[in-house]
Amino acid sequence: MIRVAWLVAVKDLRIEARSRVLLWQVLPFGVIALLLAGLALGPAQAGTSSAGPGLFYLVTLFVTLLMINRSQSLENAPGTRASVATLGLDPAGVFLGKALALTVELWVSGLVLLGGSVLLLHTALTGTLEALPSILVTLATLASAGTLYGALTQGGDGPATLLPVLTLPAFAPLLIAGERSFSAALHGGALWEWWVVVVVALVAYCAVGILLYGVLEES
Amino acid sequence: MAETVEALTPVEPPASRSRSNRRSLGVIAVLVLVVGVLLSQGLLKSLNYFETVDQALGQRASLGTKVIRLEGVVEPGTIERTNAGASFTLAGSGSHHVLVTAQGSPPQLFQADIPVVVVGHFVSATSLDFAGTQIMVKHSSSYIAAHPNRVKAPNGTSR
Amino acid sequence: MMKVTQRLLGPVTLLLLALTFWMGLWVTPPDKVQGNLVRLLYVHPPIAWVALYVSFGTATIASCLYLWRRTRSDAMDRIAHCAMEISVVFIVLTLVTGSIWGRPTWGVWWAWDARLTSTAILGVFALAYLALRRANDDPTVRARRSAVFAILTAINVPIIHFSVVWWKTLHQGASVLTSTGQLNVHGSMLWTMLIGFVGFTLLFFWLLRERYRLEVSRDARVRTRVDEALATRRSEGA
Repeated sequence: MIRVAWLVAVKDLRIEARSRVLLWQVLPFGVIALLLAGLALGPAQAGTSSAGPGLFYLVTLFVTLLMINRSQSLENAPGTRASVATLGLDPAGVFLGKALALTVELWVSGLVLLGGSVLLLHTALTGTLEALPSILVTLATLASAGTLYGALTQGGDGPATLLPVLTLPAFAPLLIAGERSFSAALHGGALWEWWVVVVVALVAYCAVGILLYGVLEES
Repeated sequence: MAETVEALTPVEPPASRSRSNRRSLGVIAVLVLVVGVLLSQGLLKSLNYFETVDQALGQRASLGTKVIRLEGVVEPGTIERTNAGASFTLAGSGSHHVLVTAQGSPPQLFQADIPVVVVGHFVSATSLDFAGTQIMVKHSSSYIAAHPNRVKAPNGTSR
Repeated sequence: MMKVTQRLLGPVTLLLLALTFWMGLWVTPPDKVQGNLVRLLYVHPPIAWVALYVSFGTATIASCLYLWRRTRSDAMDRIAHCAMEISVVFIVLTLVTGSIWGRPTWGVWWAWDARLTSTAILGVFALAYLALRRANDDPTVRARRSAVFAILTAINVPIIHFSVVWWKTLHQGASVLTSTGQLNVHGSMLWTMLIGFVGFTLLFFWLLRERYRLEVSRDARVRTRVDEALATRRSEGA
């Protein structure tokens, strides 16, 4: 399982490094979305609002949706799924590998977006650095949940439009937890209880993925 | 035709099946543990919809004039309806009290001796006066008939 | 015996619902605090009970049974689908009746408290389930994916149930399924409410049965149509 996971993760990341979809398409979108968030707040609000963490996570969710579709579409080339299926790889390993690769990609985009929110939405730098560990864990949870939901939508009618409907309600609690722990780091407050939620969600999604990814792959 | 398909279907080796069964059990155990952790903890206080009067007074210094939702029981005999709204005293447990001046018309169930939630803020960093913008009635889950022990008066009328 | 039960299901449901409305509107007394608003007690909790536990629960159990190899059958998939469709209707009704109750009692149509928000999220999940079904044509793929999705979303139901215990919410706590086992509703109000619970639960099973039959005949019709089309093609060739 672990070996398969490693192989799949390296394969996905290598494809990403060569195609640079993250760099040229997704990250520019994220930065534009942050700019628009600042514009939506208006000049008087953008510097002083406490909405920074929430907007950061909102933009991150949209970026995550794009990256989930990207991660799943890697196998969309004709015949790829069939030939992967004949390899007889452990589906749990495939799930963990894809989730790991997506996590790394989300970490990269998360760091860029954090820089953007410090610059554009004026979230305090020290607080942002303090929130970094919780953000990284939240992104990993988003990646593992996203890999599971992404597999549900592939091959059907309009996966790109179906994915948001399936994932966003599931992401809502993660958005709340992430936003609260980010805000707690910025303005003070209880940080650890949100940590527990996100870590528990990460463990739960990984467990469900290991258990059920095979059922989705079979189909 | 059917025979060929059957012959081509890969046969799962028994070893891996028992391994996958064990793994399923392990994963389910992890899930049960996770749910247990969530249930056992009084987690996530900050998902609370309101602060009680006791809580608010307990952290009075850090609240400042931040907008909060404050919950307490309306003290009987303190309600004064004004043109702009109403003012009344909210009681917590013990001797905790907050004087609320709320703008806007209160909901129709608003009355003495019931729990309400007031959206608003303390008027200054140290004051115990609370300026409300909205009153919500938090009714309990008990339902009792309006006159459960209706008695007939000697003259036949009920009261 | 089975046949008699099936035939009686519809009339008994209608009778119990009529009884609920009659007792709720004319027989029961007004509440001490809420006055006549308390009459929503005979409608809103039973509808929420059907939405969250009966129909969503049926869909979840049927999905689990579908995924378990030994009990896998098209019938399970169909039951899950039909139950989830009914669940959408009842979740919407829950939110609507709750809003109608909330406005005069609380003073607001909607509050962002834990119970209301989590119920709304469950509604979106149920809609997403139906969207997922529509997106897949292959019956096996559709059945497996929707079963996995239903199980993933079912975690929300205990969260909704315990939300009023775990967190302080504007929504009141449980009146019947209380943690102490104590009933908080009195006299004829309690009886009317319980009749409502039974009535709406039977309504669910009645709707489920009719919906299931519709689905079966629809599938059969699709199959005969395909057969007919094939036969026409063959006769053209001959």
